Amino acid sequence: MSITIPAGTAVAPPMPDILPDVKPRRGLLGFIRRNPTMAFGAALLLAMLFVAVFAPFLGTRDPTALAPALRTREPSAQFWFGSDMLGRDVYSRVLYGTRVSLLVGFSVAICASAIGLFIGLMSGFNRIADSIIMRVMDGMMSIPPILLAIALMALTRGSVQNVILAITIAEIPRVSRLVRGVVLSLREQPYVEAAVASGTRTPAIIFKHILPNTLAPLTVQATYICAAAMITEAILSFIGAGTPPIIPSWGNIMAEGRALWQVKPYIVFFPAIFLSITVLAVNLVGDGLRDAIDPRLAKRL
Amino acid sequence: MWAYILRRVLATIPVMAVVALFVFSLLYLAPGDPAAVIAGDQATPDDVERIRASLGLDRPYLVRFGAWVGDIMSGDLGTSIFTNLPVSTMIAQRVEPTLSLCLLTLVLAVSIAVPMGVVAAWKQGTLVDRAVMGFAVLGFSVPVFVVGYLLAYVFALELDWLPVQGYTPFREGFFPWLENLILPSIALGGVYIALIARITRATMLEVLGQDYIRTARAKGANQAGILFVHALKNAAVPIVTVIGIGLALLIGGAVVTESVFAIPGLGRLTVDAILRRDYPVIQGVVLLFSFVYVLVNLLIDLLYTLFDPRIRY
Amino acid sequence: MDRRTFIGAGAALAATGIAAPALSQGANARTLRFVPQANLANFDPIWGTQYVVRNAAVLVWDTLYGIDDKLVPQRQMVEGEEVSSDGRTWTFRLREGLRFHDNEPVRARDVVASLTRWMARDPMGLMIRAIQQELVAVDDRTFRWVLSRPYPKMLYALGKNNAPMAFVMPERIARTDPFQQITEHIGSGPCRFVRNEWVPGARAVFQRFDGYVPRQEAPNWLAGGKRMMVDRVEWAIMPDPATASSALQNGEVDWWENALTDLVPLLRRNRNVQVDIADPLGNIGAFRLNHLHPPFNDVRARRAILMAMSQEDYMRALVGSDEALWKRLPGFFTPGTPLYNEEGGEVISGPRNMDAARALLRESGYANQPVTVLAAQDQPITKAQGDVTVDLLRRLGMNVDFVATDWGTVGQRRAMKNPPSAGGWNIFFSWHAGADCTNPAAYTAIRANGDGAWFGWPNIPAVEQKVTEWFEAPDLEAEKAAMRGLNRAALENVVYVPTGFFLGYQAWRRNVSGVVKGPIPFAWGVSKS
Repeated sequence: MSITIPAGTAVAPPMPDILPDVKPRRGLLGFIRRNPTMAFGAALLLAMLFVAVFAPFLGTRDPTALAPALRTREPSAQFWFGSDMLGRDVYSRVLYGTRVSLLVGFSVAICASAIGLFIGLMSGFNRIADSIIMRVMDGMMSIPPILLAIALMALTRGSVQNVILAITIAEIPRVSRLVRGVVLSLREQPYVEAAVASGTRTPAIIFKHILPNTLAPLTVQATYICAAAMITEAILSFIGAGTPPIIPSWGNIMAEGRALWQVKPYIVFFPAIFLSITVLAVNLVGDGLRDAIDPRLAKRL
Repeated sequence: MWAYILRRVLATIPVMAVVALFVFSLLYLAPGDPAAVIAGDQATPDDVERIRASLGLDRPYLVRFGAWVGDIMSGDLGTSIFTNLPVSTMIAQRVEPTLSLCLLTLVLAVSIAVPMGVVAAWKQGTLVDRAVMGFAVLGFSVPVFVVGYLLAYVFALELDWLPVQGYTPFREGFFPWLENLILPSIALGGVYIALIARITRATMLEVLGQDYIRTARAKGANQAGILFVHALKNAAVPIVTVIGIGLALLIGGAVVTESVFAIPGLGRLTVDAILRRDYPVIQGVVLLFSFVYVLVNLLIDLLYTLFDPRIRY
Repeated sequence: MDRRTFIGAGAALAATGIAAPALSQGANARTLRFVPQANLANFDPIWGTQYVVRNAAVLVWDTLYGIDDKLVPQRQMVEGEEVSSDGRTWTFRLREGLRFHDNEPVRARDVVASLTRWMARDPMGLMIRAIQQELVAVDDRTFRWVLSRPYPKMLYALGKNNAPMAFVMPERIARTDPFQQITEHIGSGPCRFVRNEWVPGARAVFQRFDGYVPRQEAPNWLAGGKRMMVDRVEWAIMPDPATASSALQNGEVDWWENALTDLVPLLRRNRNVQVDIADPLGNIGAFRLNHLHPPFNDVRARRAILMAMSQEDYMRALVGSDEALWKRLPGFFTPGTPLYNEEGGEVISGPRNMDAARALLRESGYANQPVTVLAAQDQPITKAQGDVTVDLLRRLGMNVDFVATDWGTVGQRRAMKNPPSAGGWNIFFSWHAGADCTNPAAYTAIRANGDGAWFGWPNIPAVEQKVTEWFEAPDLEAEKAAMRGLNRAALENVVYVPTGFFLGYQAWRRNVSGVVKGPIPFAWGVSKS
């Protein structure tokens, strides 16, 4: 904003800036410049999303079609990533597997965040609820998440929904604790106390003041949950307590290929690379988000 | 302070109660009928009914919960459906390998990760820092079984330096014991190293920004001295905390690592029990792991109050 | 777990010890380290019928008779037997000097109690029990069995290798409820079971029993002198075949019972490892249909499966690319055994006809209802059959409800007679050791007597007629004729779907000698240098 100075007024000549303005670059290029790792992560993640959505059009065939006569073929022009023990095309299975991993990762992140947010808000605003909820959360937190997910899977039949549910339940306590912490610190803030004093009703306070401030740390947390969920899905499938084996998921492909690890390493190798790259991408995006939202945190973690 | 300690110890009771309730409900809600499993293929419905009654499975939920808690308090974790052995015996047989694996991993991870984090913080923004942080992100991203198979392939099969699998009890000698555990510990340590390196770097950055460190630096004190004496000492509390919290990660990883390296520990017991739906064993193991987790974190909390006079409650 | 238990557990650990005492180099050659096909999760060979339990049990318990490699029962614990002229009264006399592992002598009343428990759980035992009038110990070494009708297959029943085998245990243990597991493992066989070194899921240890008196004859499968050449047999359970293969290559174990076919080329390249067929009688893959519920209550739907399925697909999925390991099986019995025949097998050996199969399926009234397929994922054999079957059913145009689960759950759920929508099932998979499928005696899966039949409950009088003819056959020719009729009737009515005949490999270090091919990995006669 510039101030128009009437003519004839005596003013000092403009001082040169001691610290010249750094003109922040705008647009995509500027973003990449400022956050190279996050941009890299986001690009990788977008690529994986692309693969998941367009899997049928990327030179794949039916990932469940058997051809026992063509089993365990090395990677070739016919089978880009080779074929597995039942002669299924590993390339197609890995590409379709992207769908399951991303679905599990994102669903768990969204569900755990939403439920955790609700529980965290509840306990942040109600002392009685708080003492009960937090005891339950402490109890659940003391069960290692993978073990909790495994135990829940033992109760149910293997399906993608159940995997999502089991991992979500295992992740909720951590989210609730985070949200509750944020809520408690925000309640002490003068502007919130002022709002309370002026008679604003609790829902309004939550929606106007608390919620917007929890979203930032929650988003960061959600990306880490997403990454952890994809690894957990792979581990569950790997030990045989995860996604049903007729649905190709990276964990399943690795679990089926593990016996042949020494002779046909590529069956494990390709899904492992895809999984690692995707998790890496999500982690990079998470780190970038965290730095962008709260530069102080960048130093802390 | 004693009041705080007492309060902190008492606070673990409701936590363990929640775990116990959860774990018990797991068995209660479990599909399938343990009595039918025990009776086997050729049993008649009468046989099954008789076994169900002898196991007390026909009683109501709360009665069974009460009896179960009573049994646990007296040290009886129940009997495995498949092996017909007491669960406490099965657990006792397998404590040593898992404990060894976890301890060695912990030692390995701390001795690798802390110096990494310190150096990264000291050289903040340089290539060294980036390399360390890059490695840390990678450690979070590669699943433990992939690392395990890679290590086994290179160091056991190709180079033949270390055994592929198995476990040698500690009393048969330190080196045979160590030999079997090196590869699994490194595989399992990846995530832990990443976690500890990151937290070390972060807390070190914070501490290094404090006035007294700047003063020490300005005075020209020995650099290594500053890093390891002044700064690390003050960064220790958060680092130890994350080790305690990371225990959950370690236990989860051990389940997989033991399968890959055929280590006869609690992790494999858990996986076997889950695949066979051996609920009493699942209950016992989950309960034990949770108990250890709560106990370790309690100890860590208490250690603070003893050793860091600044922490007041 | 409270604190006290935890400490108690620690103390128990110190007391029981978790592994072998330290072994010197010399002792190493006296210990045979063996990787079995599966985990020894429970150890009661009457209660549990898994092959792995049976394989461990033959080391620990002896039997009255034992079959040799011609499948003929030979005397083992008995010195002689006498059968009355009407074939109804059997009198057996035990060998002298037989001892249990607690050094108590083996007495006739121990045998009577053991047989009584065995009869309650064994299909042949149940047949005997149904006609039994009296089973008594006459004196310490003699017992008598009186039946209401002759039972010509008596010695086969007592010496067969099919689980449950008629093992001899001390009376107090044999008095355990047959539907509950025994808790004490005092045996009568060549090895003691070292119970405090047993870690289910990881290891099991057998120590040579010096009080065992082997027969003078040369060992031949379950017959002859069971002489232990090593002091200890240590089972190392390795669920991951890649781990087992590496351990064998590195010399960390001596003998691997079921070497994974895909890894065999790797093992063959290792100069220190030898590979051979494990069991010449092999296995028969079984794809089991539920005869009680639609669509497979209609024989046309069952036949449609038989017409469309390709045994080659199943076998390649099962045994890998090694052509020497499988055979098309147009029937239900073990190839290479005296009663084998392919009567009526054209439906399997002829060309596949998908269109005719689809038409037949439609004709049976199949209306796209979901077909519940139970596939245990933790057994490679059931897993592979499940995967191939889903593909087959989809190509047939069926609506598949695929239940991926574990073997234990399949074991429970297959016993449910409810409709599939109410917790029942339409299809599950298993396999039968070829040694069980040489004739109908121990072959429960071929029976079609409705509620009495194996899971799937086929009720086909034509099949049962032929089974009865075999049991009553006076000579080999009559047996063969009955078996030809049985094969045809079982195929026409599709008792179950055989997915093929397959063999497996075993592998051992070259410093181990005396490994024989057989339905059980016999540890006697095996030595190590």
